[in-house]
Amino acid sequence: MSAILECRALTKKFGSVTALNNIDLTLERGKIVGLLGPNGSGKTTLIKLINGLLVPTAGNLYISGMPPGAETKKIVSYLPERTYLPDWLKVSQAIDFFKDFYEDFDVNKAYDMLKRLNLDPNKRLKTLSKGTKEKIQLILVMSRNADLYCLDEPIGGVDPAARDYILNTIITNYNDNATVIISTHLIADIENILDEAIFIKEGSLYLHSTVDDIREKEGKSIDSLFREVFKC
Amino acid sequence: MLKKLIKHEIYATGRILLPLYGITIILSFVNRIMIGINKFNNTPLNIISTITMFFYVFAIIATIITTFILIVFRFYKNLMTDEGYLMFTLPVKPFQLINSKLISAIFWIIISVVVTITSLLILLLNAERVTIIRDIWAYVYKMLKNNFGDNYVYLFLEMILITFISIIQQILLIYVSIAAGHLFSGHKILGSFASYIAINTAAQLVSLLVLLAMASFTGSSFEKLEKLPHAILIIAIVLCSIYSILYYLATNYILSKKLNLE
Amino acid sequence: MQWDLNSEKPVYLQLVEQIQAGIISGKYRPGDKLPSVREMAAQAMVNPNTMQRAMSELEREGLVYANRTAGRFITSDEELIKQLKKRYISQIISEFLEKMEQLGLNHDEIISLIDEISKNKGI
Repeated sequence: MSAILECRALTKKFGSVTALNNIDLTLERGKIVGLLGPNGSGKTTLIKLINGLLVPTAGNLYISGMPPGAETKKIVSYLPERTYLPDWLKVSQAIDFFKDFYEDFDVNKAYDMLKRLNLDPNKRLKTLSKGTKEKIQLILVMSRNADLYCLDEPIGGVDPAARDYILNTIITNYNDNATVIISTHLIADIENILDEAIFIKEGSLYLHSTVDDIREKEGKSIDSLFREVFKC
Repeated sequence: MLKKLIKHEIYATGRILLPLYGITIILSFVNRIMIGINKFNNTPLNIISTITMFFYVFAIIATIITTFILIVFRFYKNLMTDEGYLMFTLPVKPFQLINSKLISAIFWIIISVVVTITSLLILLLNAERVTIIRDIWAYVYKMLKNNFGDNYVYLFLEMILITFISIIQQILLIYVSIAAGHLFSGHKILGSFASYIAINTAAQLVSLLVLLAMASFTGSSFEKLEKLPHAILIIAIVLCSIYSILYYLATNYILSKKLNLE
Repeated sequence: MQWDLNSEKPVYLQLVEQIQAGIISGKYRPGDKLPSVREMAAQAMVNPNTMQRAMSELEREGLVYANRTAGRFITSDEELIKQLKKRYISQIISEFLEKMEQLGLNHDEIISLIDEISKNKGI
């Protein structure tokens, strides 16, 4: 099974609110995919479903042919939008934690990235700034050799230098067996690194195409198309 | 995986509890010394020993209360707030998360009891008192044997078992209440308290009904009276176990199928 | 290598053009070894597949060749590079001449203006 993600008629409702409506989506391996849409469009819901943090109301989804569960969590690396590490941990303890639970975690890569960013592994997370905490979470997530990376708003609220570093990390981590899903509304900054773009509009799949196709067919950038499609 | 979760659990909670337990033990030594010094009627020293006794009592209370609060708070913070994003994306099943916390909670409750008893012994034990304890123990033993015949051993075991199971039941009741509170869309903590009261009340009602039913069956024949504590304990153990299993299954169901982290 | 990419045109084409410009200007010398696709993609902040596509296009044109063990190299074929340079220059001159035509200048006026301005610039 070569497709890393397959969604069939995937639907998620919260009470009477439909967050995701009948999503049919297939993602192949070795792609960097942008999951694009305004806030509240359903992007985060889809990512939570992929990571087993939500259960579908209807329909199915499969990661590497398996429904979300302990087995898929072994091959999916998730960077949520929030700080999710316990505050009292030291950076080195956070690394140990990941090493303990994830077989595919590369400790050397993690310490390498820490060094390059001049981050002290002995500091407690509680003493670090929000931006630094986010960088550390990114390092932990990207130090795994996962099959699917889900990055939820990795560059929002981060300074331009850090943004470049994050994009650089994503590019240099690329391997043709793994797929990276980047969920964001800051499209101009990332469109050059995307293979494919997915537009989610009000819980439905509006568009899924390669970036090149979009530029050739529409004659404009993904960012411009986005502004058109999601005009207020 | 479970071992790793337990290890992490014990470390996360122990970093708060162990210093507290340590202080309690140290204070019990300090107070024992101060009690000895008290015999010299030196007023400044008397004042100091009163203060240290105050701290000691405070420490004992803190030991018990903190252990309890930490068990509640740990489950909530680690699973139902932002940290839940970390825990529920680990390659483990939700029931393993519950198990690790349950085992850690039982562990610390046992330790806290041991610490409390040890500190009291440190504070108060001397040769004379050991004899008193031995006498009390012998008396209780004779009482049990006389009143309940050869079954006294079973009775004793049943009492240990019910203590153990009711601790487990209490912990699981807390967990299921927190999980149930999570289902509310707003005021989740309030929802947890409400759930706790509702479930606990329901459980006690059921227990009462069962006991009443049992009482109406046995009537008041004297031969049965000997077996009564025995029967009550067995029923209690069974009910407690059933409640524990129900709370566990409900918690697991909510965390597996109804999780919705903010 | 400074990359100047806009979002309107397919990125791989822009990469091809800018590498060609680099070859012409001498930034990439004949026989130079190129960094790995991933490194170049990271420098340009583009998708590695896109950089790969640009490389394949340049290989197709013969400006770049791949040695399976040693990596990718700029061609040593000076003749090919000269032709590329000529095509590039012809393109610039054509565009220039079109613009001059739009401004209403004839052939002689264009030549004498070029003489005057290049002398002032010291070219």
